[in-house]
Amino acid sequence: MAADRKNKVGAALVVGGGIAGMQASLDLAESGFYVYLVEKSPSIGGTMARLDKTFPTNDCAMCILSPKLVECGRHLNIESLTNAEVLDIEGTEGQFKVKIRQNPRYIDLSKCTGCGDCEKACPVRVKNQYEYGLGERKAVFRPFPQAYPNAFSIEKKDRALCTVSCPAGVHAQGYVALIRDGKFKEAVRLVKRNNPLPAICGRVCHHPCEASCKRGLIDDPIAICHLKRFIADYEYERGVCVDPEPKPSRGVKVAVVGSGPAGLTCAYDLALEGFDVTVFEALPVAGGMLTVGIPPYRLPKDVIRAEIGAIERLGVEIRCNTALGRDVSLSDLKAQGYRAVFIAVGAHREQRLGIEGEDAAGVLSGVDFLREMNLQKPVKVGESVLVIGGGNVAIDAARSALRLGAKKVTILYRRSRAEMPANEHEVEEAQREGIEIQFLTAPHRVIAENGVARGLECVRMRLGKPDASGRRRPEPIPGSLFTVAGDTIISAIGQVPDLSFADEAPEITDRGRWLKADPDTLETSVPGVFAGGDAVTGPATVVEAVAAGKRAAESILRYLEGRDLREDRVFDKPHMVVGDVPKERAREARKKWPTLPLSERLSGFAEVELPYTAEQAVAEASRCLDCGVCSECLECEAACRANAVMHDDEPVIREIEVGAVVLCPGFEAFDPSPLTQYGYGKYKNVVTSLEFERILSASGPYEGHVVRPSDHRTPKRIAFVQCIGSRDVKEAESYCSSVCCMYAIKEAVIAKEHVSGDLDITIFFMDMRAYGKDFEKYYNRAREEHGVRFVRAKVYGVEEDRSNQNLRVRFTHEDGHMDTEEFDMVVLSVGMRPKADTVELAKRVGLHLDEHNYVLSSGVAAVATSTPGIFVSGAFAGPKDIPETVMEASAAAAAVGSVLAPERFTRVSAKQYPKERDVRNKRPRIGVFVCHCGINIGGVVRVPEIVEYARTLPYVVYAEENLYTCSQDTQDKIKALIEEHDLNRIVVASCSPRTHEPLFQQTIREAGLNPYLFEMANIRDQCSWVHMHEPAAATRKAKDLVAMAVAKAARLEPLKRHKVPVIQKAMVIGGGPAGMTAALGFADQGYPVYLVEREDSLGGNLKKLAKSLEGTDYKKLLSELVDRVSNNELVTVYTGAEIEAIDGFVGNFKTTLSVRGEKVSFEHGAVVVATGGKEYEPTEYLYGTDDRVMTQTQLEQRLAKGALPGRRVVMIQCVGSREPERPYCSRVCCGQAVKNALDILAADPSAEVTVLYRDMRTYGLKEDYYRAAREAGVTFIRYDDQAKPVVQALDGRLTVRVHDAVSGCDAEMDADCVVLGAAIVPHDDSKAVAQLLKVPVNDDRFFLEAHVKLRPVDFATDGVFVAGLAHAPKTVSESISQAMAAVGRAVTVISKESIEAGGIVASVIENRCTGCGACEQLCVFSAIRVNPDKKVAEVESAVCKGCGSCAANCRCGAIVLRGFTEEQILAEVAALPW
Amino acid sequence: MALCETKVDPRFKYEVASRPGGDRIKTCFACGVCTAGCPVAEVDEEYNPRRIIRKVLLGLREEVLSSDLIWLCTTCHTCHAHCPQDVRFTDIMGVLREMAVEHGFVHPSFLERMEQADEFSQKVRRALVLSMLPGKAKSESVDFRALLAGVVNSLGSGEE
Repeated sequence: MAADRKNKVGAALVVGGGIAGMQASLDLAESGFYVYLVEKSPSIGGTMARLDKTFPTNDCAMCILSPKLVECGRHLNIESLTNAEVLDIEGTEGQFKVKIRQNPRYIDLSKCTGCGDCEKACPVRVKNQYEYGLGERKAVFRPFPQAYPNAFSIEKKDRALCTVSCPAGVHAQGYVALIRDGKFKEAVRLVKRNNPLPAICGRVCHHPCEASCKRGLIDDPIAICHLKRFIADYEYERGVCVDPEPKPSRGVKVAVVGSGPAGLTCAYDLALEGFDVTVFEALPVAGGMLTVGIPPYRLPKDVIRAEIGAIERLGVEIRCNTALGRDVSLSDLKAQGYRAVFIAVGAHREQRLGIEGEDAAGVLSGVDFLREMNLQKPVKVGESVLVIGGGNVAIDAARSALRLGAKKVTILYRRSRAEMPANEHEVEEAQREGIEIQFLTAPHRVIAENGVARGLECVRMRLGKPDASGRRRPEPIPGSLFTVAGDTIISAIGQVPDLSFADEAPEITDRGRWLKADPDTLETSVPGVFAGGDAVTGPATVVEAVAAGKRAAESILRYLEGRDLREDRVFDKPHMVVGDVPKERAREARKKWPTLPLSERLSGFAEVELPYTAEQAVAEASRCLDCGVCSECLECEAACRANAVMHDDEPVIREIEVGAVVLCPGFEAFDPSPLTQYGYGKYKNVVTSLEFERILSASGPYEGHVVRPSDHRTPKRIAFVQCIGSRDVKEAESYCSSVCCMYAIKEAVIAKEHVSGDLDITIFFMDMRAYGKDFEKYYNRAREEHGVRFVRAKVYGVEEDRSNQNLRVRFTHEDGHMDTEEFDMVVLSVGMRPKADTVELAKRVGLHLDEHNYVLSSGVAAVATSTPGIFVSGAFAGPKDIPETVMEASAAAAAVGSVLAPERFTRVSAKQYPKERDVRNKRPRIGVFVCHCGINIGGVVRVPEIVEYARTLPYVVYAEENLYTCSQDTQDKIKALIEEHDLNRIVVASCSPRTHEPLFQQTIREAGLNPYLFEMANIRDQCSWVHMHEPAAATRKAKDLVAMAVAKAARLEPLKRHKVPVIQKAMVIGGGPAGMTAALGFADQGYPVYLVEREDSLGGNLKKLAKSLEGTDYKKLLSELVDRVSNNELVTVYTGAEIEAIDGFVGNFKTTLSVRGEKVSFEHGAVVVATGGKEYEPTEYLYGTDDRVMTQTQLEQRLAKGALPGRRVVMIQCVGSREPERPYCSRVCCGQAVKNALDILAADPSAEVTVLYRDMRTYGLKEDYYRAAREAGVTFIRYDDQAKPVVQALDGRLTVRVHDAVSGCDAEMDADCVVLGAAIVPHDDSKAVAQLLKVPVNDDRFFLEAHVKLRPVDFATDGVFVAGLAHAPKTVSESISQAMAAVGRAVTVISKESIEAGGIVASVIENRCTGCGACEQLCVFSAIRVNPDKKVAEVESAVCKGCGSCAANCRCGAIVLRGFTEEQILAEVAALPW
Repeated sequence: MALCETKVDPRFKYEVASRPGGDRIKTCFACGVCTAGCPVAEVDEEYNPRRIIRKVLLGLREEVLSSDLIWLCTTCHTCHAHCPQDVRFTDIMGVLREMAVEHGFVHPSFLERMEQADEFSQKVRRALVLSMLPGKAKSESVDFRALLAGVVNSLGSGEE
């Protein structure tokens, strides 16, 4: 055992960062365990962060969630792992090994300050998943402003195909995205990162990017290439400098031979790296084939000169007329100090045709012809020109010949059009210009007269089997010779390099034909000599040459730095994943760019293709589908001044050790698109309830204006359709999703509040399941006060009126009348499902799941799974609402606590601070730190001016500005400055104290200052953001805000926090299932507990029940609980005990009991109230006068004894519940009726059981039992509360009459027994207990928790908790869960040896106090009371929350709220210039 | 209408459920989707699938089996297609019709005629599909009215 203990790990894993995960983490961390909180998305917060309001209190979900986000996020012992997934969990209880994948965020969390500058720079807009696709967000995003971590993240899919397919790796999606945003200069800069020749490539690239563009699967690919040309031209024309900045010179020389695209690119990349590069060019001009191969109508010379000029500006020297082998040798280069050479001499020699007559006059080589022409040497062509070949050279030669005066130009190509290697667009233009192409034609012989060519004898070809290139091989058709006349014949069938220079190093060639280089690194067999481009690969395209240049540059860099040439380099072509093509995008053809009219073309070499206008370019770029989401335009990187962007971030696998696991992954909403009858996805104005939450939310896509998506008009009629995806055995889930009825009512009420005046809302439902605490009242108010209309019908279908996008809803009224009503909008109340990926994980881990894939509980409480040490809470254990989820989270924390109790405080750490400096009686020396927050503040407010101004303020001895005051380096700086300038008060002018005050307070504590010597001025949220268009006024206001903060800071006093010891024991009031569970919970965690029970025996209501609906044997449970409680030495049980007094406060209670007349008192640190409730004693339906009428519980007791009450049983539900005097649902009665009915039929199949109900409230998974009861033959008839059943006993005959609306019958049934589903009511003395504890009860006398949503077991009074029926009607299992939750919460108190008190709390100036007691009445925390002896108020600082209501209301001014004294506040106000 | 013990047969629903097709009747939770979508109910509000089911569940054997309403179903299966509880109302109607005959509420020849009518409509459907198959080219539009008339005529005259 001892060994076991040693091996347990005092840490827990919490999976899922929703409200359950956050609560479980906080409870665990606060009770001494280290927590890893793993969340898949970039922020914790879960579904609740996306809700608008919460029922039944209409609190803003985000407002109540946000403090928990901050608390959880900043907790020292909670490690939030966002963007992370659990891959595997191995091991056993106490010791689990967990494998976690941390997915890349692409933003460094330790650097990101959340300023949002990256988001502003991002050009990519995608559907905002946080808004359920209703709005847009950027590719770099933060899901919501309150997110934790308060950092951005980048969404990337596989990289876009355009980018992947570019040989040079140009971020094509990136520059297209930037063009869409009008950021042309940034776009050119982005291209230039990978390709120095955007204007050239924008004209002549064969653009594989466009061939792979996914838009092409919808209509036409984006004109990516032409867009690139547009931006380059646009910026060059305007003289905008887009040159990158080279690194400082390394003083190392590199030679590049050949100034074609490969050589130029290599030179460019190396120059940027700081090398001294010389390019040797054999020809008189630079540019290689770009200059001498491509005719100017396609690529004007000034464009080439401009881009080469930019390369020269980086310091690259180009020496023309210097040929390798002729003017300089490799050994010369070495001798001249060139440390590496890149040979990229290209392929400038035409291959020979190899046919008779080839040397006749008038037969020209294509490359020679183009070179002569491009060098502006006199070139003559005849009237009729024949061009042989099908590549770009052939087309260029043909079109040039036309421009040189040829009357007729014919291209002869031996294959068909499909095999032509020339750019398709070029071929089209050639044909438009009148050039004829003869396909499947090969030259056989040159017909020459007197050595002068007169034409060609040709042969017809046909296509045979594919050859090595994959194209079908042409074969001559025998006997098909024919002649074509022509006086100039240009052969353009392929080029080879001139390798005469290689005589000195023949080993670098491949048998003298091509240069030989490693295909990956481009190194040759001679060290330091690299080769690439056409001379190696054979004739290829410009962008491939650019790619070769880049590759060579990288190799040379590595070579010269002595690094491995291959390590970490990717040489293979990246994998292309096509993925989905969005269907919803409207078809929109590519924007056409202008071309030179045909009439103007042939008179010269003017450029044919003309650029887009800026508007056309933006429109064309807007067609982009954003395939990769992030376009990698790298603008975020440039915008981020904190250098937090990491585009090359990669997933990291991490292994952690924990002792226990809590799974709270939440749920996924049912996707209603397969239920086509409701038109979701087809009709714009049909939305899901979650989408409607966002529509309602002030932070949502419509800023809280209730409008319909189709036309953004305010709807006049909205229909809610319930049970979408729930209670449907065929197409969805058979169970009830538990929460939809209530959220629909809430959304209806809130929508009506938003749309003042006439908004009609109808909720179509089957059973209204308002079964939770105070839900029924909410339902009643919705109907009676807000006028929400409820129609009991399942909707058959929804159809759209196409003329106005209104929706027709078809249904049947209960009386059978068919109806169709028209609405402006339909909201589908979608149900819950377990998430597919967590189901996967649960299965992998071996958890038992039920048929719906919810986690099967192994105990009475929902939190235990089939695997010891792994617990579950929230919607993964069945559909449920927020309070139950939170409750289960605390219960899971308690369960973990009982497993890991011996390891408490072994893994956690506490922050140590230096001794505080004494600043009393010292003159204030204030330091002011003004934040730019990137450009958030600095872009509006003139920060330097604020700093100057701050220096003039009284007591300010130091002021400075920071780019980000919250960054880690600034924190260190602040600490140093406190020391250096002896600062004793600190003011930060930046953002919100809500998120940042604790950070700055911690910083000054680390520098030895009391944390309360800190003041914050919010010059961002309350100044620069709201006045962003008025910089001058904003600057003035920022000054005022700083002046106010400084004025207050000068008057700040150190506030002390002192420790109050905690009595590490608990008391539980009530010995029912909840009380006994709670007592055992404390004992299991090692804490002594007093269990106080009024009755003489333990058990409470459990003594009256036989089993649960799900089959738990309550008799067994009772005896087990009683046994365990009685035999646990840490549990002291007092039965027959009455509480006389409870004194003290959190951590230090003293209770006095009267146990059978004897006084007992003890001390404890926490209290759990589990005083229970009881069944209502009906006065209705002859109860008490006819013994054949009984309650469900009485029936259950009889059935347990095996005594059937008769064959004909009629049950009447809602007896005493949902009545004006008890306007609440008792929650358990429907389930109990189903349970008893099933039992009766199981015992006697001939029995007739009829249930008369108002709404069947078999919520959640209980719905399956309701169906089982129907299947078994139980008849369910609904009655209306306006026409209740009538029970009569006449002549010994017991009858029940009821109207059945469905059949239209007034049914009269004979009954052997009538069973009443009687209400649950609180115990009579609940109010007395409440008074003893000074905690509130609600109108129904159930105890009122601190907050119904997020603090379901706490009271506003610290240290006091509630569980079981005392809180509200609930099942035994729910009571037990809640009891565990109470333990989980209480242990956060009693696990500590002491609690901190003081700080910002109220204090009483005794001589001013009159003891009037007004403060005592006001304080909801019971922190202040009038001392009866001294007749003055006294504050218990351990309990005081510093809310200030006492101080504000004290008529004598006797109460001071520390940290907000009158003097301090008046000084702030006085600092405002009037 | 008042309903009392003497008129009801509590075993009726079990009897219906025990027959092929009738087995799911008891799971009905009276949502009314069957009725809201029913093309017959649309023209005759007396015809109400939900009400018929409820009457079976209540045990109104005589009333149900003697009613003309059970003969109105067109067997289009819309009710079943949308039923969230998988109640096969069309099949239940078949069961009720059989029981009506068995218990002498109608003459067997009536059921026979109904079945013939069903069979005939099946044939019309099949013939329609078959006659469309040869000219399946997408561009061709089919004149369903003429086609239907032709099919019905041919079936009517050339009945086996």
